[in-house]
Amino acid sequence: MKRSLKSLPTDEVEINVSPLIDMVFILLIFFIVATSFINESGITSKYKDTANNSLSEHPPLSFQLPASGQLMQNGAVIGLEEIAPIVRNAKGKSKSLVLIQVSPGSKAGLATQVMDQAILGGAEAVKLSPIAR
Amino acid sequence: MRLYGRSRAYEDSEGGAINVSPLIDVVFILLIFFIVSATFVSLPGIEVTRPKTQTAESLEKNSILFAISQENQIFHAGEEILLKEIPRFIELASKDRKKPVVIQPDEWADAALLAKVILQARSKAPSVSIATRKPK
Repeated sequence: MKRSLKSLPTDEVEINVSPLIDMVFILLIFFIVATSFINESGITSKYKDTANNSLSEHPPLSFQLPASGQLMQNGAVIGLEEIAPIVRNAKGKSKSLVLIQVSPGSKAGLATQVMDQAILGGAEAVKLSPIAR
Repeated sequence: MRLYGRSRAYEDSEGGAINVSPLIDVVFILLIFFIVSATFVSLPGIEVTRPKTQTAESLEKNSILFAISQENQIFHAGEEILLKEIPRFIELASKDRKKPVVIQPDEWADAALLAKVILQARSKAPSVSIATRKPK
């Protein structure tokens, strides 16, 4: 008791901050290393799995991607730039869903561009559906 | 001359101690910035050539990433995985917080595989996006 009273300093107490700085530096380096600044941009295929009866009433606008790398609608080959006008004109009938039927062998780049063009044309939801060979 | 002499005397009395308080302040600010901006996203581990799209918009940073390579392999967190393992990996990565899924397909990957991956991911994730790049 006497000792502790005696050891209470009359001048100001100096806390050693070196361990604190060490810890903070270690935390800082950990967070610098662990942080990954990814900034991804992309398109989202918004669609709800609706009931079948509403789909049969309004058949969705569909495009086919065969393995040959072409783009078809109802059996006719069309160009990528034709999709946006087709979707825009069809908006009254089936505005909700654009269906892209992809065959094995067609390329993801083309499928993504078709989705992009359909969204550009005003499609609310775009669905990619795989078809068996 | 007199000033020089005084400053020298001042240095001597201090014993060359540096005031570290501003240093600690700056380091704390940096630390808080990195803590706040940390997202801890595990990258798929391969670099793909993303398809070019015009309507690309910025996606959620804190999302689960899958990549499809040119050779039609699916990658997640640096490892090649199978198609049917995707729902399990989404459950593992999201831990009952609903995280969105971002798929990075290569331009020359199979579109049918991309469609199957999206279908698998949609069974667990609230939204599924395709990573693209804007045409220059």
